[in-house]
Amino acid sequence: MQSNGRSLYTPIPMHVLRAYYESTDRSLKTLELSFDHAENSHAFFEAFNPGQFCLLSVAGKGESALGVASAAWEGDFVRFTAQNVGSVTSALHKLKAGDAIGMRGPMGNGFPLEDWKGKNLVIIGGGCAFSTLYALTKHVHHEDHRDDYGKLILVYGTRTSGLCMYKHDIAAWHENEDMEIHQAIDVPEENWQHHVGYVPDVVRQVAPSPDNAVAVVCGPPIMTKFTLPALDELGFAPEAIFTSLEKRMKCGVGKCGRCNLGPQYICKDGPVFSLAELNALPADL
Amino acid sequence: MNLILEKQALQDLLQSWRQNYDVYLPQKLERFSHFMPLTETSVLVTDEPHNTRIPPKSLFLPMTEALVKFTRYGGYEDARHEIQPRIVFGIRPCDAQAVQLLDTSFIQDEYTDPLWLERREKTITIGLGCHEPCLNGFCTTVGYGPFNKADLDAILTDMGDVYLVETFSQAGDACFQGLPVAAEETYQEALAVQHSAHDQMPVAFETENLKEKLEQNFKNNYWDEVSQSCLGCGVCTFLCPTCFCFDIVDETQRRERVRNWDSCMFRTYSLEASGHNPRPSRVERTRQRISHKFVYWLDQVNQIGCTGCGRCVRYCPVGLDIRSMLRQAHSLPFEVSHAI
Ligand SMILES: Cc1cc2nc3c(=O)[nH]c(=O)nc-3n(C[C@H](O)[C@H](O)[C@H](O)COP(=O)(O)OP(=O)(O)OC[C@H]3O[C@@H](n4cnc5c(N)ncnc54)[C@H](O)[C@@H]3O)c2cc1C
Ligand code: SF4
Ligand code: SF4
Ligand code: FES
Repeated sequence: MQSNGRSLYTPIPMHVLRAYYESTDRSLKTLELSFDHAENSHAFFEAFNPGQFCLLSVAGKGESALGVASAAWEGDFVRFTAQNVGSVTSALHKLKAGDAIGMRGPMGNGFPLEDWKGKNLVIIGGGCAFSTLYALTKHVHHEDHRDDYGKLILVYGTRTSGLCMYKHDIAAWHENEDMEIHQAIDVPEENWQHHVGYVPDVVRQVAPSPDNAVAVVCGPPIMTKFTLPALDELGFAPEAIFTSLEKRMKCGVGKCGRCNLGPQYICKDGPVFSLAELNALPADL
Repeated sequence: MNLILEKQALQDLLQSWRQNYDVYLPQKLERFSHFMPLTETSVLVTDEPHNTRIPPKSLFLPMTEALVKFTRYGGYEDARHEIQPRIVFGIRPCDAQAVQLLDTSFIQDEYTDPLWLERREKTITIGLGCHEPCLNGFCTTVGYGPFNKADLDAILTDMGDVYLVETFSQAGDACFQGLPVAAEETYQEALAVQHSAHDQMPVAFETENLKEKLEQNFKNNYWDEVSQSCLGCGVCTFLCPTCFCFDIVDETQRRERVRNWDSCMFRTYSLEASGHNPRPSRVERTRQRISHKFVYWLDQVNQIGCTGCGRCVRYCPVGLDIRSMLRQAHSLPFEVSHAI
């Protein structure tokens, strides 16, 4: 958390740099935000870790928690992809380049990248929850970090090809030698050259080795629920499986009480937990 | 220091504090007593056999307050609040204890709530011990007590015509400067009053292994049984001195972002935009309320998050009684967990 000399609850001023639809059905929109003040940018990147999220603020509508979908090396901006589901997110969808917006963050713990050094990474994503995994992949894949990790295996499923996010980068990743990428859609489509099926089944098919590996799973609850047993069958220990949790949030800083999972606050102590940690917490999700 | 305060002299003393402080104390408001600012004509309520209806947490976390102001051109700034130095007089030990518990949530290094902190730093708290057991209270059961000193700058013991004043800080000393020092004998009498008050408090339920029983039975239909008659009105949480949940909403006309007390007993509290609700019924919501106080607070700061103030018992419209809920929990199966 950065404070900028402001109260915990006061957003910093940002501007929309670019805004574009991420899916063909226009349910997903990506916003790239730039900082109005250089000191806020410094503070942000000083603190930022992939897997963290921010609260985007629209005055009069409220705030929404969105995962950061960019890596620090990409430049002096922060990317988010919002699914249009309610009052704040529909207001976010109306924004265009040049519009003012407020932001708080980065919030939460992010992925334990230090602990993962030297390991193979199995990154499994579904739907729009892929945003922070995209940031993670970009971070790890950067030449400054790539040598810190072993093999990089990516499984990404969406309902349809039109809902696949960040298509440009993902297409480019298929060409990469040092990364294995498995894309899937739920039902067959013409000209689709990748997997067809649900993510848990694709994971079983790809069968990544659990040796010296960690798996990180972010997706809709149903996908996560069925992917965890698949990883278990493959021999991944609960300590080697990570996921990012979601609950309704307000304050984002462990004060309003809303997002608790037992004694932990997802906003502050999470959102990233290992399965071993989750197993010790009440099933209150 | 142990001092003697004549009851007749109290009104003048309180008035004298007004020169430098905003003074808050329990006063009658319709049928209930309520912490309100002292005026020249205020009538203090010290003889009520229980605490105020609305707990004094409201003096540190107001029921509603602006957090952020929207500026023109889409900016944001901290909402400003003038917070004067204050004396809170007549706070009951259970409620002072609750404020101390809330400190552990609101004051956490870089995650410190600035408004909470400022109000805390500017407030002197003077307690009024409970020399007679209050209706519905059970402070000793949960490890606190009618003369619990946590978070107090001074505490008063009612001894008939006089109060014995015990001060615990410089600020407390300053408030009672000039009062005669109590004779050792009087002090011993006061201690006897305190001990007898402590001993008169009934043991409402057993706390040994209660945490283990509740946490190991997260899925037990015990929760269905104890929540059956609950209406979900939220009174038990709203009036609880240790409940601190708040909602944040935008007040467009006032151009402000505001926090309002909220309750985990409400359906919309945890309802997500997708329609998914991790606590869809009063069963899960009751489980959250009880578990927060008797499991999660212990995990977090090793203290029970209920101070036994009795409000939820007294004001629940259908008579749900946390004491009997927890007595019932005693028959739940459990295994001893070995702390590492
Ligand atoms: C850690 C985290 C990361 C997230 N990342 C993304 C992302 O990258 N992309 C994306 O599209 N969505 C993401 N979400 C979900 C997103 O926050 C909600 O869909 C969004 O807040 C809904 O707001 P709304 O005002 O449009 O909906 P409404 O139904 O009008 O919600 C009202 C308010 O409730 C709260 N709220 C409702 N649902 C949620 C929820 N599921 N999570 C948190 N707060 C909620 C918000 O404060 C919201 O303003 C994330 C949630 C969390 C907790
Ligand atoms: S006060 Fe009683 S009825 Fe109301 S929410 Fe609490 S337990 Fe339920
Ligand atoms: S749970 Fe009930 S008795 Fe305990 S502190 Fe809260 S209101 Fe008082
Ligand atoms: S969102 Fe307020 S405590 Fe997590």
